Amino acid sequence: MSKLVFSSSPHLKAPKTTKSIMLDVSIALLPATIVGIIFFGFNALLVMAISVVSAIVAELLYKMLVNKASFKQFWNEFDYTTLVTGLLIGMNMPPLVDWYIPIIASFFAIIIVKMIFGGTGKNIVNPAIAGRIFVFISFGIVAAGGFVDPIVTASASGQGTFMSPIVAGSTPLGDILKNGLSATGATNMDMFLGLVPGTIGETSAVALIVGGIYLVARGVIDWKWPVIYIGVTGLFTVVLNGFNFAWFLPSILSGGLMLGAIFMATDYTTTPNTQLGNVVYFVALGLITATLRHNNGTEVVSFAILLMNLVVPLIDKYIVPKPFGYKKPAKKEGK
Amino acid sequence: MEKFVQKTFPHGVHFHDNKELSKEQAIEVMPLASDVFISVSQHIGAPSTPIVKAGDQVVKGQLIADAVGGLGSKVYASVCGEVVGIVKKVGAAGGMADHIHIKTSEQQDQVISLPALETKDKESVLNRIFEAGIVGMGGAGFPTNVKLKPAKPVDTLIINGAECEPYITCDYRLMLEKANEVIAGAKYLAMACGIEKVVFGIEANKMDCAQLFADLGADVVVLKKKYPQGAEKDLIVAVNGRRVPCGGLPMDVGVVVQNIATAYAAYEAVELDKPCYERLMTVSGRAINSTKNIIVANGTRYSDIIEYCGGLKDDVCKLISGGPMMGFAVVDTSISTTKTTGSLLALTAKETNLDKPTNCINCGRCAKACPMSLMPMYMDFYTLAGDYDTAVKYGVMNCFECGSCAYVCPARRQIVQSVRLCKKKLRERKK
Repeated sequence: MSKLVFSSSPHLKAPKTTKSIMLDVSIALLPATIVGIIFFGFNALLVMAISVVSAIVAELLYKMLVNKASFKQFWNEFDYTTLVTGLLIGMNMPPLVDWYIPIIASFFAIIIVKMIFGGTGKNIVNPAIAGRIFVFISFGIVAAGGFVDPIVTASASGQGTFMSPIVAGSTPLGDILKNGLSATGATNMDMFLGLVPGTIGETSAVALIVGGIYLVARGVIDWKWPVIYIGVTGLFTVVLNGFNFAWFLPSILSGGLMLGAIFMATDYTTTPNTQLGNVVYFVALGLITATLRHNNGTEVVSFAILLMNLVVPLIDKYIVPKPFGYKKPAKKEGK
Repeated sequence: MEKFVQKTFPHGVHFHDNKELSKEQAIEVMPLASDVFISVSQHIGAPSTPIVKAGDQVVKGQLIADAVGGLGSKVYASVCGEVVGIVKKVGAAGGMADHIHIKTSEQQDQVISLPALETKDKESVLNRIFEAGIVGMGGAGFPTNVKLKPAKPVDTLIINGAECEPYITCDYRLMLEKANEVIAGAKYLAMACGIEKVVFGIEANKMDCAQLFADLGADVVVLKKKYPQGAEKDLIVAVNGRRVPCGGLPMDVGVVVQNIATAYAAYEAVELDKPCYERLMTVSGRAINSTKNIIVANGTRYSDIIEYCGGLKDDVCKLISGGPMMGFAVVDTSISTTKTTGSLLALTAKETNLDKPTNCINCGRCAKACPMSLMPMYMDFYTLAGDYDTAVKYGVMNCFECGSCAYVCPARRQIVQSVRLCKKKLRERKK
């Protein structure tokens, strides 16, 4: 009978583990990844591969050098979070980015943002977003370009080629934020399908939504949170533009909003722990995104998420649910 | 078929209940084992004092240990035989207790009953429940006669037929096969408490029982199949919407809760004059050869029960006394049953949890599952950091260790273990 195991209750476990959840997220990212490769070509595949491999290598190096872990230990503890981070970094890169930039982004994300704080679950901001912002600011990718038009050039609306009306290499969001709605030739349908310039993984709203539906169906994320974020951003953009509802669709379909709202803002570690806290978090995200976009004329989703990530501990400190059966203590008389 | 509205409580977890393993097994009586070890500490109060000594001949139904103190309970012999001695043994919950070792004799035809009740009124029934040694048979072991004398006025008796723990089916079989007896027992419990209203709370995976009880004229509330539906506070809020305050008891909202098995024991004590010395329990799990719902004599060793049920399979991993969510893992099969042992489960590695805890990923699933609306992730974090006061702020003292948080945790944090540690540290500090 020595083989009987002794342990504390409960003796049952839910089927989901950190590993299975992160695997689900990886699967949910596949549609956008594949669409990115189709639209932007072999280079997109290369960028994403470099990002993923360098993220995993960064974690391996850290664990071997700092934690003195063996490769076997690393492999047993490997929970796909690094895979997701690496993939997200790749998807956040312009298709023609220099090869060393995603490597720097991945190393920064994994080592500085994730591992130094204690690994999975201990990071205070989303590693992929921090990595993206680090290289965007350091290397000025936005200014320098690296954006190209999709190689699939037929417009979704079927009217002529897609490339002609817009300035090659500039994102539709940048155009409309700088010069108004009419500045871009991209139709809403183009943006929905992803036939516009942008980072590898952010352009195709439909592919991202398919991934999002998969995550909701698998019980990984709550549908309310991306919907609140995207909805508030769209509506507040409408408000900021004098209740012009023509702004609604372009503002939610363009830029990194879909990718950010479905995959990066919903990251467990950097969202509040309570339902009410999450409402506050995602509404604030939407308001900040719409406001900063309006005032700065550039894409700010990742900055908005980074900013709100830092507010999460504060939200969690002040929004604590009252226990079942809680009664407000009666005020004491006198004094 | 009547239409039942399903009621429930906030939060909680859903899982497959695995009751199909033993649901269809009709109640059978397990033959007496060669030896029984009857604990003198089968209830929550002070251990009872043995009144027999080595060499004494005892008869089934004979008083062998007397109640001590206000929360005491009487213990009766479950077999005819000779007292071998009083030994110290580990109980199912892990603590050491005196056990009266009785060697079963060949002759088992003698039974002592309690004297027949002349009148059945509040006082006599209440006294009978104490005399019969009935304790809360759902697992807590709180003396029933004390619970039926609440310090505050009560108006409703809720009979807990939720049986929300997976695998366990003994209450189900009891409700199905002894419906009239359970209803009669519930009426006696209500009588002892001086109240009229008796409500049966039955979970929706036992619709046949709910229908049967409704047909027999009982007041039935069907509860949604969700864990921990059978926890007192969650049961009460589901049945009549009253919320027991933090740190309070059901009587604070005018309710007394009793278990199905307790109601049946009350029936036996009042109508059949039979003291509490045997009970129905479920033997189940995928690592036992035949699953059963059996009536077992108090003090029967687990090893004897396992043998009667065809033995353990080779892939057995955990043996659990009680339900898989709140029960105790046992590694010693010489532990014997008590009045509160409702089940013995043999689980395979696949069924149970052997995973090592990893970092919390802050997913918030535990807070979403917690039936008490606590923050389990912080209770775990601050306890392990040694900051017990902050852990209490996040609800350690309101936690009744149902295990929903640890069940849903994808990082397999041992949250319940942390809560127990924190409570223990706080008790030590008080001393």
